[in-house]
Amino acid sequence: MSLTAVARKDFQETVRSRGMLVLVALFSLLVSAFAFAVRPTGGSEQFATELLLSVFIGPFLVTTLVPLVGVVVGYDAVSGERESGSLKLLLSLPHSRADVVLGKVAGRGAALALAVFAGFLLPALVLIVAPVVFNAGAFLGYTVFAAALGVAFVAIAVGCSAASAIQRRALIGAVAIYVLFVLLWGAITGRLVGAAGPVVDALPLSAAQLRVFLRVSNPTTAVEVLSTAFLGEQLFSGNSANQQLSAAAMLVFWTLAPPLAGLLKFDADDL
Amino acid sequence: MTAIELRGVTKEFADVTAVRDLDLTVEDGEVYGFLGPNGAGKSTTIDVLLDLVRPTAGAVRVLGADVATDGVDIRRRTGVLPDGFSVYDRLSGRKHVEFAVESKAADDDPDALLDRVGLAGAADRAAGEYSKGMRQRLALAMALVGDPDLLILDEPSSGLDPAGAKEMREIVRAEADRGATVFFSSHILEQVDAVCDRVGILRDGELVAEDSVEGLREAVGGEETLEVAAAGADDDAVAAVRALAGVSGVSRDGDELVVNCASDAKTDVIAALEDAGVAVDDFHTREASLEDLFLAYTEGDAAERDADAADSDSASTEPDPAHDEPDAADDAGPPHDDSDATEGVDR
Repeated sequence: MSLTAVARKDFQETVRSRGMLVLVALFSLLVSAFAFAVRPTGGSEQFATELLLSVFIGPFLVTTLVPLVGVVVGYDAVSGERESGSLKLLLSLPHSRADVVLGKVAGRGAALALAVFAGFLLPALVLIVAPVVFNAGAFLGYTVFAAALGVAFVAIAVGCSAASAIQRRALIGAVAIYVLFVLLWGAITGRLVGAAGPVVDALPLSAAQLRVFLRVSNPTTAVEVLSTAFLGEQLFSGNSANQQLSAAAMLVFWTLAPPLAGLLKFDADDL
Repeated sequence: MTAIELRGVTKEFADVTAVRDLDLTVEDGEVYGFLGPNGAGKSTTIDVLLDLVRPTAGAVRVLGADVATDGVDIRRRTGVLPDGFSVYDRLSGRKHVEFAVESKAADDDPDALLDRVGLAGAADRAAGEYSKGMRQRLALAMALVGDPDLLILDEPSSGLDPAGAKEMREIVRAEADRGATVFFSSHILEQVDAVCDRVGILRDGELVAEDSVEGLREAVGGEETLEVAAAGADDDAVAAVRALAGVSGVSRDGDELVVNCASDAKTDVIAALEDAGVAVDDFHTREASLEDLFLAYTEGDAAERDADAADSDSASTEPDPAHDEPDAADDAGPPHDDSDATEGVDR
């Protein structure tokens, strides 16, 4: 199938990309160093894998570095090929433009997921050696959430890339995506809700509900909500079950909608 | 069946019209050479065939299907060597061909194809390390995957040395013998001359001539170019030659007179010069080559300057009366590269 062929090609290309290897190695080392640095000293065995992941590694490393790797892996997917001319080679073969965009999301997303798993191997060793209670299930599960976060950012970046005729625009878009979702989301949405006070009052929902919705609308915080619930053994249950469902839905949305929107523009362009 | 059919195709970009009301038909099994200088609209036409660029107006059918709706099916049966492409730097040559095989759901052996284009020894190297010529060969190998019914080759010889260009021609010939239709563009005439059944010449987005190679040759065949080393020729002598029947143009190039004339007027020219008291040191003739024709068609302004020198012969050398293109045989304007144009070299 055509989409699979594109996906496999992009996977092979991405795993050979030096930029991604460097970032993943850096990620792996930082997580390991973090795990080692905050390990409990003395005889206390209370410090568990879950706590380390959700309080230390999660907020400081995973939600900042994994989106960065995702954006780096995705931003040149289409525009880079378009600018270099390899897209001509690709579209000389029997691929539709939809196969190209979606195949790239699949191939590069898979490569990133593999990289995230590889990146968590070294920290796992550190945790096994360090005097913490290593919970392999929790660790592996958390890795899946980290990979899902990365894939969402790959998808957003590929969508942006597909909509960009030139590589520079895709790069600007990628930086904007990262800054918006990782650095400024809370500040911007908080301000928006504040400024739109009267409008919000007219809506059939409270400002608090709106804030929660906006919080889980960000793939980064959505993954935080989900992974924290998972580590607390409350996944899709407990008080925040509804919020988690919204978060999961938003993750799916961010993985599908940007590539489709980018495809709309890409499909109409002269190449 | 018709392999390629363009009807009234126009493509306007923001600042330029690349193709103007183009009608073009390539029959099944034909080898069609698509000629024109850089910027004439050849690549845009090919991009339209591949649905990379959507025409502003007109209908495009390839292998009997509409490119706008059946592009993927068409490309499954088409092999394409694009122009101005780049390879995937990190992937090996073999990976490239494997990708093409998988994409076309074909069962070719990648190594056999790489061997056919002369890349067997470099199959495992990353394509980013390939030279321009090797990349060209690699793209050709990808184009040959799945024994396509139609080959579209955009400037196939670019980046190839003469030996590589010859191999390219042999592969084109072999594919045509297998029954494939071949459509290729070039701005170099000798490639077309050697392999094409029919050629079309594109200038400024319009087809200005279309004929078999023989037909184009005949269009200029009644004329020869006579080069006379005659240092003493004065204006009177030139006028005497110009007045002869069968002479369509005379120009002076240093000590040399260049006379365009009918084949049977050559002796008259020499005789007229000697009658005028000019010592003819040496002379030779050359058949007007396709290069001359090509230049005449594609450098219209230069040729038009000489058009007023045309006499009654021009009617017989006008390949397509529908267009007001210049008379090919009268083209003395553009700088001829004699080493290429001399008879025999370009065949």
